[in-house]
Amino acid sequence: MALIVCHSPKGGTGNTFLAAHMALGLAEAGADVTVLSMAAHDTLPFHFALPPSTTLSALHASSEDSVVVSGIDLRHARTAPKDPDFIPMLKDLGYFQTGRDRTLILDVPSCERNLARRLVNHACAHLCALDTAPETLALLPQMFDEAGKGGLSRTSFVINRLDDTRRLARHNAAFVRELMGPRLIGRIRLDESVPESIAMLQTLARYAPSSAALADVRRLVDIVLPALDTDISIWSGAKSSSYAA
Amino acid sequence: MRVDASNLLNRLGRQDFSYKEFEDRFTELELWPMLEALLKDPRLLELDGAAASGAAAPAPESLPSAQTQAAEFVPTPPRPAAPPAPEPVATDSISALFRRYEGPNAAAAPAPPAPAGSGQDVRAMLRHLSELGSRGEI
Repeated sequence: MALIVCHSPKGGTGNTFLAAHMALGLAEAGADVTVLSMAAHDTLPFHFALPPSTTLSALHASSEDSVVVSGIDLRHARTAPKDPDFIPMLKDLGYFQTGRDRTLILDVPSCERNLARRLVNHACAHLCALDTAPETLALLPQMFDEAGKGGLSRTSFVINRLDDTRRLARHNAAFVRELMGPRLIGRIRLDESVPESIAMLQTLARYAPSSAALADVRRLVDIVLPALDTDISIWSGAKSSSYAA
Repeated sequence: MRVDASNLLNRLGRQDFSYKEFEDRFTELELWPMLEALLKDPRLLELDGAAASGAAAPAPESLPSAQTQAAEFVPTPPRPAAPPAPEPVATDSISALFRRYEGPNAAAAPAPPAPAGSGQDVRAMLRHLSELGSRGEI
């Protein structure tokens, strides 16, 4: 079992996209994946080609009520930020152990920093999606301060929606690359196919199999997968395939 | 995929595009004031002390009881804003950043001497490093 926390210091960086496609990739690789959305108004179902009318079941709901797509169990835990038993419950379920046989991916909204920090302390990995907006970079010092060295040791960064034809985006991405070093495990290129696939109510893999973003996120899955079986941080074992290398 | 992109692929007889990378060398980038301000923020130094392995990392906080956990949700006053970065700390941060740029061989070596005044002038340091890079010295 493994717990992966997807949380970004700023909203709108593609955190849910990353969580959803990490789930799809890990499930393709044979993992038994559950994705838990903690957003009050979650957009997670859209990345699984589900219509807006879809309502996810709570974590405690029976399996008959669950929404399962491509073998991935999609749930919500909107009350988790205020539920003192949430983290102990995850421990009781065994998600604080390593192993890819059962993987829980938590899509934590950017505003839930306190919850994210406590979850990261127990997680196998923390994936932090960043975009190249200066506002996002400006939040990094605060994020580092709050995470501390223990939290940062489990954190791997991903630049999302990278448009390197734009000067500022290119410069900011280079800055992040230099700052993060091996902790930056990859980048996902800006790809119009992503919103188009949502609008088409299709998965990205079906709508645009040649999608650049899809290829990038699949590379990330290849980096994350081996780390699920170990106590080693993703980024420390990803040197050869790191975008930063 | 957009129709125009699809049509272009059909005309080219290809299944997908090959993407050109537009990456610049770090030393060739201009340092935007936002990035310059970030480099001077001592909180970024947290990254340097974060261990790589789970064993070496600080142990996860023990699971609190429901009661203490509930207490964590009591809003705490925000931390005071970080004080303005003293120049020596900023210089260390920048040095660490550029030591990474210089590669693993330079990591163990002492930091290269900076031109006069560059410790307080990030742009001057960038220009200096850029010149070294263009001469193939780094």
